[in-house]
Amino acid sequence: MDTSNHVQLEAARALVTALENNDEQQVEQQLLILTQSQESDLFQEVGKLTRELHDSLNNFDVDARLIDLTENEMPDTRDRLNFVIKTTEDAAHKTLGFIDQTLPLTSELKQTAEQIDESWHRFRIKEMNADEFQSLIESYLPIVKQHSEQIHANLSEIIMAQGFQDITGQVIRQVIDLVGEVEGNLVQLVKVAGKHIDNNTKDNKKVDPIKAEGPQINAEGNPNVLNNQDEVDDLLSSLGF
Amino acid sequence: MKILIVDDFSTMRRIIKNLLRDLGFNNTEEADDGLTALPILQAGGIDFLVTDWNMPGMQGIDLLKAVRADENLSSMPVLMVTAETKREQIIVAAQAGVNGYIVKPFTAATLKDKIDKIFERIDS
Repeated sequence: MDTSNHVQLEAARALVTALENNDEQQVEQQLLILTQSQESDLFQEVGKLTRELHDSLNNFDVDARLIDLTENEMPDTRDRLNFVIKTTEDAAHKTLGFIDQTLPLTSELKQTAEQIDESWHRFRIKEMNADEFQSLIESYLPIVKQHSEQIHANLSEIIMAQGFQDITGQVIRQVIDLVGEVEGNLVQLVKVAGKHIDNNTKDNKKVDPIKAEGPQINAEGNPNVLNNQDEVDDLLSSLGF
Repeated sequence: MKILIVDDFSTMRRIIKNLLRDLGFNNTEEADDGLTALPILQAGGIDFLVTDWNMPGMQGIDLLKAVRADENLSSMPVLMVTAETKREQIIVAAQAGVNGYIVKPFTAATLKDKIDKIFERIDS
């Protein structure tokens, strides 16, 4: 028990005794003591608040890093993430472009193989003489060689286009680090400034159940998320689809 | 048969366009969200709509609702191709009258299967 409480308790006991004894002078005196100690509690509380305010202001000084994050690093991060979108998009188009170039080459190779097969068959049943067959084979072989070389070159380009993963991976790691740092600073800020915030405010957030969220990360075990096409089909058929 | 492909990512539009071409649908048009798709649909000439859900501007679910609410477009087959996989979303899409729902990433076989099913239902 601290001194202030002790004084109050003593005064309260004395006040009760004075009231029981009808001692008006003593009653007034004890009431005065109680009021004064109450006022002194108020002064102490104000002093405590002042100290907290002072500490808070000092902490704001410390959080200059948060301001730097907001003003400089966040816009920079937006640029970085846009760079990721642009780089992945370019790589995907480059890959698709080489595939578009390659597919007709494979069709032509298939066609050439069919023609060789047919010529070989005609040669064997003697519908085609050796000279004719030889000249046809000589006309097919360069196609096979050229197309195979082109397909090889296109596939190598497709491999090179996957280099985006290294570049974007590095940028995304930087962003992850930054988000971690911002999180740490915000937690600190909430600790300093958020002591008196009503805890109920976090429950007021309304969630739109059909808000678009993109791909679900860590969805396993979440009964509200379907994990593949089969589960979607099952749900739709249960709805009479 | 002219198909409108709506997706905000050009690579996904290209992938869907290529897959549709392999399935014999050579006549396609593209839009990057609901706001640009709707005028194209209203101008006429589109027979089939393939749309993503999550797009800036107008989202796919709102495009679907707008199509169903427009008397000239209300019977158009709509296939949704999306990464949105929440139970409520799929229920809402079904209630809004979607004809097929494909989740990304998807395969060429899934796309063919869903398109075939949509045409089977239309024909029957």
